[in-house]
Amino acid sequence: MANRVLIADDAQFMRDLLRDIFEQAGWDVVGEAENGKQAVEQYKLLKPDLVTMDIVMPLRSGIEALSDIIAADPGARVVMCSALGQESMVMEAVKAGARDFIVKPFQQEQVERIVQRVMA
Amino acid sequence: MDMAKFKSMFLSEAGEHLKNMSAQLVTIEGASDDRDRINSLFRGAHSIKGMAASMGYEKMAELAHHLEDSLDHFRQGKPISPTDVDRLLDGVDLLEGLLEDISQDLPEREIADFTTRPVDQKQSVEDQPPAAAANPVTHYLQLILHDNVVSPAARLLLFSKSLERLGTIDRLVPSLEQIMNGQEHRSLQLSLQSDLTAAEIEQAFQDYPEISQLSISSEPPAEERRKDDRRSGDRRQGDRRAQSLTAGTVRVDTNLLDQFINLTGELVTNRHILQTALAEQRWNELNDGLGQLGKLVKNLHGQVVKVRMMPVSSITERLYRVVRDLSRKAGKEVALKVEGAEIELDRAILEEVADPLMHMVRNAVDHGIEQQGTVQVRIRRQRSHVHILIKDDGRGIDPRKLRERALEKGLISPKQAETMSDMNALQLICLPGFSTTTEVTETSGRGVGMDVVKAAVEKLDGILQIDSALGEGSRITMKLPLSVAIIRILLIRCNDRLMALPLSRIQQTHQIEREEIQSRGRQLLIQLKEEKIPLISLRKSLHMPVPPATNRVSLVVMELFGRKVGVVVDQIVGHQEVFVKKMPAPFDRLPGTNGGAVLGDGQVVFILDVQGFLGGRR
Repeated sequence: MANRVLIADDAQFMRDLLRDIFEQAGWDVVGEAENGKQAVEQYKLLKPDLVTMDIVMPLRSGIEALSDIIAADPGARVVMCSALGQESMVMEAVKAGARDFIVKPFQQEQVERIVQRVMA
Repeated sequence: MDMAKFKSMFLSEAGEHLKNMSAQLVTIEGASDDRDRINSLFRGAHSIKGMAASMGYEKMAELAHHLEDSLDHFRQGKPISPTDVDRLLDGVDLLEGLLEDISQDLPEREIADFTTRPVDQKQSVEDQPPAAAANPVTHYLQLILHDNVVSPAARLLLFSKSLERLGTIDRLVPSLEQIMNGQEHRSLQLSLQSDLTAAEIEQAFQDYPEISQLSISSEPPAEERRKDDRRSGDRRQGDRRAQSLTAGTVRVDTNLLDQFINLTGELVTNRHILQTALAEQRWNELNDGLGQLGKLVKNLHGQVVKVRMMPVSSITERLYRVVRDLSRKAGKEVALKVEGAEIELDRAILEEVADPLMHMVRNAVDHGIEQQGTVQVRIRRQRSHVHILIKDDGRGIDPRKLRERALEKGLISPKQAETMSDMNALQLICLPGFSTTTEVTETSGRGVGMDVVKAAVEKLDGILQIDSALGEGSRITMKLPLSVAIIRILLIRCNDRLMALPLSRIQQTHQIEREEIQSRGRQLLIQLKEEKIPLISLRKSLHMPVPPATNRVSLVVMELFGRKVGVVVDQIVGHQEVFVKKMPAPFDRLPGTNGGAVLGDGQVVFILDVQGFLGGRR
């Protein structure tokens, strides 16, 4: 069975990009969320092996969504997607239980490596 | 990325080999010229070695290699003594411990204590040291990040978290607080107490291009042995089941998969037939199609159940070891015979009865058999049920003593004690609070009493039967359904609400006239044939309004708390098969229901656990 990932990002472009990377690596992209609220709902519903979570999203931010997910499932594997200049938010996310973070712009290799580490 | 996939397969296969090895070792005593068995043991150790080595689990591979070597001597014709068997069993135990470490993503435990122990040195079951008291080593680490790493502080925090998983961190510079404040740091210094070698730690950080420099220097091992509860003490057979039964992967016969595909194909065709028939309003065809759909679904259910089935041997194999250890310890001579272990049961059921079964076998060895005897576990298929009989030829249970005991504990009244039949007295051992610490020996005292056994069996919609004659031993039978998901229910109505009772718990249903009801104090009774049985009102029990009495009363006779009880309902509607859905957490913890089911018309009914909701008020 392929590993299952949920992609949470408010930008369609980013979601498509990540979907491509994951699908090439043999993953099942089981869900896409456009905001933090959806991310939490879909996580509970789909129980994916991994979530990629954009930090800045409408309704509930990535960090709020992360906290909700960790509260519901302390073993959840959530990897944050950050941009340059979000250091303090990345730190918040790691404190809140994010397993790792990927810095935009994404490079396939970087994503694959981090995912591999998180899943190990 | 695929390592996770291989890992679960590794865990389940290695676990299977270990289980087989342990079963074969126990039976090898007195049959040391059994070449097949020795060869098969050798192959088991060999396979584990190969798998562990290719997964990179060095200690496990080393230990398997070590066992393979010793087994090779026996293969060459060296006779096997009971001490040798003990040692090999210890080795298999240690392998299981390693497997557990691996499954929990922990570093592999130390094996040097075992591999360096002289082969002849007898170490009996009792004084075996903690399976692997580890010798943590202090490593001094320095780690420097590349200049271009983004969010270095968060990265350092992640590193210190990963290091925490490898051991105990001490003297962290900068401090955790400084890191969390987000100050600009690009290096980390710390000492790490870990069972891992420097090379293993380095390995763990191999895949981190963010690190520009990692240096690890170590000092001689610290003198202090770490006390680790999880690893020391008594964690023998009891914990093993979880591993084999709850392992997330199942091996499925490819023939079954083919049948799934075929069935799916037929379902697709069926859907088209139904669609066309509906569009063209050809009712006969629609009707036929629906009939066919029913058959297909039934077939599909049968196949899915097959996938969930596992042989009972998956929970009986370990009993040989339990009986062997236990009887050696107690100085008794007890043989275990298992019949029908190839019969299959739903894995969810096996999971639930594994501990009860072990408890009853322990009991038989401990309390039943006097000096020498046989414990039998006999598994039989009886239509849609499986009967598991645990039988011993020991001293039997004395009903008189049971009565006295229950009286002493205030569990029954003097009058009850007087009138209670021997058969009913035997059921007393299932009352909560009946067995106490005073009679619990070291071996049986694992916190599972017969009350827990009975509850486990009844939770599965099964029946526990106890039979014993003084001087002739005891027979305890667990009657279990084959599978859990689909059961037959009796639909009843109460206060205009439809509810369900599991049919297997019901003995009879009756329509009686109100005049037939008698009262004794506040207790209402009814005479059914020779028996007077107490009545309870479902409405009252569920705190529903009780309407004025009608002339005819509907009665469902069930066994509750070991005795027959008539449950008064408004109306008996009928029975049917339903697919039981467990309630989602936290509702699954509510006493009084065993889940729910959706009926054909979309109505949801709760499946009542009458004993459950009466339990609190008894």
